[in-house]
Amino acid sequence: MPAEQPETAQALPRVLPHEAIQRRPPRRPWGAIALFLTPALFFYFAFIIYPVLMTFYNSIHTLRMDLGMVYEYVGFEHFREILREDDVFWKAAGNSMTWAILAPIVDIPLALTLAVILYSKVPLARFFRTVWFTPLLMSYPVVGVIWLWVYNYDWGMANLVLRAVGLGQYAQAWLASPTTALPALILVTTWMFAGFNMVVMLAAIHAIPQEYAEAARVDGANTWQRLIHIIVPLLRPTMVNLAILDFIGKMKQFALVWVMTRGGPMWGTETVATYVIKRAFEWKTLDLGYPSAIAVIWFVIIFGLSVGLTRFLQRREALEF
Amino acid sequence: MPARLIRGVLLIPVLMYTAFSAGPYLWTAMMSLRTTDEIYRNHYGLPIPPHPWKFYTAWTEFGYATYFRNSAIVAVVAVTLITIFGAMAGYGFARRRYAFPLREPVFLMLFLSVMFPPQIMILALFQILINYKLFNTLAGLILVYVATELPVTIYLLRAFFAQIPQELEEAARIDGCGDWAMFWRVMFPIALPAVATTAILNLIYFWNEFLYAVVFITKQEIRTLPLAIQFLVSDQYFDIGMLATGLMIATLPVLVLYLFLSEWFVKGMTAGAIKG
Repeated sequence: MPAEQPETAQALPRVLPHEAIQRRPPRRPWGAIALFLTPALFFYFAFIIYPVLMTFYNSIHTLRMDLGMVYEYVGFEHFREILREDDVFWKAAGNSMTWAILAPIVDIPLALTLAVILYSKVPLARFFRTVWFTPLLMSYPVVGVIWLWVYNYDWGMANLVLRAVGLGQYAQAWLASPTTALPALILVTTWMFAGFNMVVMLAAIHAIPQEYAEAARVDGANTWQRLIHIIVPLLRPTMVNLAILDFIGKMKQFALVWVMTRGGPMWGTETVATYVIKRAFEWKTLDLGYPSAIAVIWFVIIFGLSVGLTRFLQRREALEF
Repeated sequence: MPARLIRGVLLIPVLMYTAFSAGPYLWTAMMSLRTTDEIYRNHYGLPIPPHPWKFYTAWTEFGYATYFRNSAIVAVVAVTLITIFGAMAGYGFARRRYAFPLREPVFLMLFLSVMFPPQIMILALFQILINYKLFNTLAGLILVYVATELPVTIYLLRAFFAQIPQELEEAARIDGCGDWAMFWRVMFPIALPAVATTAILNLIYFWNEFLYAVVFITKQEIRTLPLAIQFLVSDQYFDIGMLATGLMIATLPVLVLYLFLSEWFVKGMTAGAIKG
């Protein structure tokens, strides 16, 4: 995302002579610059840049925690093994991708529907908005435990509802089967983020100038036509932005899986993020190099997609409201 | 009349979604006031009679007092540090007076790190914290939290500081205001709405953070609430009632604040939208 133009660029034209004298910077206040930026840059270099570089370095080494962290150079061996031989990595990458693609497909239309409904002056709209937003304020472990209960076979809410509406034959242990576990987790993130996506879209709808809707009304467009031909097209940038955000967020998904399924059953919910942590701390190899290589691969993909998608779309103003 | 009818019809999906959205948490809230025995007899019974003493038991006997204290220390210290350092840097990156040749590239680099997935740092951070004896300490966790949220905080505050009119700064300077006084007494107070927004965003993030906590904290007595809950799920899997009480302890502070400041919360959380 390109940064906003700082005021340097816009403030220069039409400078009157006396102002010019006054505004000429006497000398750069290096002391003040250092004072304001040093703490932040210290944190940035010590805890972000340095570890990132270290991870790249680790990824071409073997680094056994049980053998005193001695570095042993292996070149690109880890990368070859990950890409050629590691079935679990490919399974995890597939799951992360599935999650990242399915989530926006479900979340964005749902959020749009909710936003449009609230916009049409449903009573108590503020109350509903407040309630729908709440799940986002809970931590993943809290959400995970609650949904472990919801998906409980015997007494969980999910099966309770199915049995209540006569679909009892579909009641099942949702997290126990490799085919249903991942969709079940995706539904949980939808539950968490729908309110958030809805709020952003609602704000975008409110930002649409009233005149557009008025003009369409004068031209005889009914509510539905105004929705389809005016509101939805104008919301497109917002929807695309939210979809990208959702996509990237799901590519990084770790906590919900860690709490609810630990990647199981049969790697059915393993994500790249959980696999990195597992390989580092729960694998008999106890090697930090291999998971670092996985992290590097995933970093390149996520960072490339983030920068690529946002540059390609270049519509950041849609999120500023 | 038709308009009113349409609104009535629209209420049906709204109520259905509200049940989906609020149902699981309300169910948990009810269980938090019931004993596990009562829950196993009927999972959906109302908390009659309620057992509020369960909160006291969870607090004293199940360690929630410790976990709560740890989470509070981490969140409060980290928010304080990040707010001060973030505002200073946001101000330094925003104002024309502090421009220097490579400032914009440095800022862009800082901003790009918003998109870094935590995995690219976490294993190396683990090594670094061990080397500096910060592994398994709340201080280490706080440092990592401040570092990882600083870029987005600076980004948001810089945008705000950049909008403050130049005339104001000049007026204060003519009155003899130095650089620090300019920031602390003039600019920071003006930026308070934006600062509060980022503070709330960060507070929620730190209170709920799980990934770094799970890797950097292995000692029981310094677990934060999210971490503690993850362990309690496996340790007392069948004591649903007590676990539900614990979930309420972990969420109520945030939800009560949200009740009073919901507009600020929504603003803060969506301002962080670029972070995802």
